[in-house]
Amino acid sequence: MTQQKKKPKVFEYFRETKDPYAGGLAWCAGCTLELTARFVPKVLGKDIVLVGCPGCSAPVFYGQNLGTWHRMSYFSALMTGVASSATGISRYYRKAGRDVTVVCFTGDGCSADVGFQPLSGAAERNEHIIYITYDNEGYMNTGYQRSSTTPLGASTSTTPAGAASRGKPTSAKNVPLLMAMQGAAYVATATLSHLDDFAKKLAKAREKVKEGFVYIHVFAPCVMGWRIEPDASIEICRMAVRANYFPLWEAENGRFRLTHEVASPRPVAEFLKPVRKFSHLKEAEIVEFQEMVDQRYAVIKKLCAVE
Amino acid sequence: MIAQRGKVRVITGNAAAAYGAMLCRPDVATSYPITPMSEVAEQLSSFRANGLLDTEMVEVEGENSAMNVVAGASMAGGRVFTATSSWGLSFMYDAVQHAAGFRAPIVMVIANRESPGILAVSGGQQDIISVRDTGWIQLIVEEGQEILDTIIMAYRLAEDHDIQLPVMVNYDGFYLSYMATGIEIPEQADVDAFLAPLKRQPPRQVLEPGVALGCGTHGIELGFVELRYRQCVALERAADKLDEIDRNFGEYFGRSYGGQTDEYRMDDAEIVVVASGGAAGTARVVIDAKREEGVKVGLLKLRMFRPFPRRRLAEALKGRKAIGVIDRSVGFGWNCGPMYMELRALTPEIGIVPMLSYIDGLANLDITIPHIARVVDEVNAAAQGKPYQEVTWIPLEQ
Amino acid sequence: MAIKHKFIFPREGAWSDGREQLLCLDTGSWRVVRPVLDKEKCNYCSLCALYCPPQCLKDMDDHYAPDLAFCKGCGICARECPRGAISMVPEGEFVDDSSAR
Repeated sequence: MTQQKKKPKVFEYFRETKDPYAGGLAWCAGCTLELTARFVPKVLGKDIVLVGCPGCSAPVFYGQNLGTWHRMSYFSALMTGVASSATGISRYYRKAGRDVTVVCFTGDGCSADVGFQPLSGAAERNEHIIYITYDNEGYMNTGYQRSSTTPLGASTSTTPAGAASRGKPTSAKNVPLLMAMQGAAYVATATLSHLDDFAKKLAKAREKVKEGFVYIHVFAPCVMGWRIEPDASIEICRMAVRANYFPLWEAENGRFRLTHEVASPRPVAEFLKPVRKFSHLKEAEIVEFQEMVDQRYAVIKKLCAVE
Repeated sequence: MIAQRGKVRVITGNAAAAYGAMLCRPDVATSYPITPMSEVAEQLSSFRANGLLDTEMVEVEGENSAMNVVAGASMAGGRVFTATSSWGLSFMYDAVQHAAGFRAPIVMVIANRESPGILAVSGGQQDIISVRDTGWIQLIVEEGQEILDTIIMAYRLAEDHDIQLPVMVNYDGFYLSYMATGIEIPEQADVDAFLAPLKRQPPRQVLEPGVALGCGTHGIELGFVELRYRQCVALERAADKLDEIDRNFGEYFGRSYGGQTDEYRMDDAEIVVVASGGAAGTARVVIDAKREEGVKVGLLKLRMFRPFPRRRLAEALKGRKAIGVIDRSVGFGWNCGPMYMELRALTPEIGIVPMLSYIDGLANLDITIPHIARVVDEVNAAAQGKPYQEVTWIPLEQ
Repeated sequence: MAIKHKFIFPREGAWSDGREQLLCLDTGSWRVVRPVLDKEKCNYCSLCALYCPPQCLKDMDDHYAPDLAFCKGCGICARECPRGAISMVPEGEFVDDSSAR
């Protein structure tokens, strides 16, 4: 046997080593949401109060009659009411003088679309909540319909590529940037290929939530909806970061910083190739996609340069 | 009466609502402005700004959030309060249903206004009707003092261990919301004492950080049916519970309102006028005048709309010769008043007697003394066997 | 009304309770391939365990072993292992059944 390596730094961030879930959960093989869900309480702790809503997380987070799949305190909101219910819970605990970490955990369908108004409201009021979005770029649980974080050109069940369509005709909403623009105490992007970075951000979230609103946007590819191989999901995350399609940054009280600067960014075509929701894209469309990636990254870079 | 006499202030219905809420010491309250109840939010904010209210006030970005915030806070263990009207109520509709499913003991005041469908910034009870199937307890009050007092009673009712249901306290927008009358503000210590029995009951289930309890489980098959059944049964229990609380309130504060219904000159009444809200007050004046003329008419004021006080109403209406029902709203699909429609369902208990539906008071058109006098006359004629019109839209026949 | 249903919920309100038993799916029965480790190549870097979505790789002090009751056979551990120490082998090659010991 070869010489033992020291355990990765990420373990140092774990408040809990055992996750509070049952061993067998109804998430697809290779699901990045499963990894995210099991990862979050390891860093944030098991005594959080979790607020969620319908979506891919619901079949695991919601009880079924009396039964449940996990041991966390959980509040099931409607998609329209996650950040607002969490606000109420958080305000009550503050009034009662109790130090409780309230964590929202939803998909992009909630954060970017139907739950955006309360999210924006909670951010503006600087509520003491950690809001985590797992962004699989669509409404996956209901059959891979497009959401406003679905990227330009993606073929989804409601923007299918066909003889008369090239997939989604508009670009994605940049939710973490919108949250940072609202002046939240702490905003960060994270993904599953860079777990040290993710853990560090979650640990920071736990501290920053004492000051106000925290938002973490996790890039979480969907094996089924994106039509990728089950064993490729982590690699897809890595490729997204390496192509600057999903840059890893954080903004603390409006000050931006890249937490992982990619020395030699890869062409986005490499990221698009194994993701079959993009398989219909032609050369010219991939060029357009690259331009969009470059322009978005340039904006983040500029923001990081602001003192 | 045990409570001290409180200070009398000349304040609007909205302000009375704010005082009622303040006296009950909510942990979390939300506010979003909508005519005609914006003043409730302003008053509460003012109380807070002046150190009179130690409540987490959340100035939400919309009514949907107003309800979700208090629902979350309630299920975390807090006493909560919110207020809205018509369109705001529509916007929070999903959250309103959700809150009842949680069995969150929220108290919400609604300054009644015409509901969406036709834009109107005017009074009516359509908003009450639009949410009658959400699982909430719905109470309707007649005047300012009753607003304040009913809010206190609403907390006793909502948070009662046997009930655990949210309560809407409805009052006429524009009429009661803006009308200033002399209202006795109870002393804080007395309100505390009146609500203290709740502390002696077993605590309801609330969120417990670190404990594996999930609020709002997915109801599956029989589990769902059971939860629905429990909601319905609890709602039914609220009727008698309200009467009990109203009696206690009367003993303690010296003011009581009848609970589910209030009967005026009903003992020997041959004909009955059924009304709710401010119109009931006007009706009393007409009843007295008609009695002078020898008409044996009585008023049945409907205070509790959900649960529908069927037993009380059946007892009160049995044996009468004719009944007139004044609705400040419309019943879509039946083309008559909604309260009239529900009273008709009591025919097996009260017998087939002429029942006349009057739709009046929509869009801030007043329900006047002459209008109600006409109701009494027509109901009286029907009682004597003369032909009558089943449904009358009074404003259109003016 | 004669209610025959035996009430499930002990109190008012729609609460689930995970203080004793948890619901659990037999996800081990999903897989068609299972991870097999070449211990010689393993240097205990822990990446397989970190990246495993169901978190079913058990720490054996100098390597990790899959909990076959829950391993879905996604193959992420094999793909992510920097030393190629894990191979995904078809279930058909194993005579024993897939439950954990």
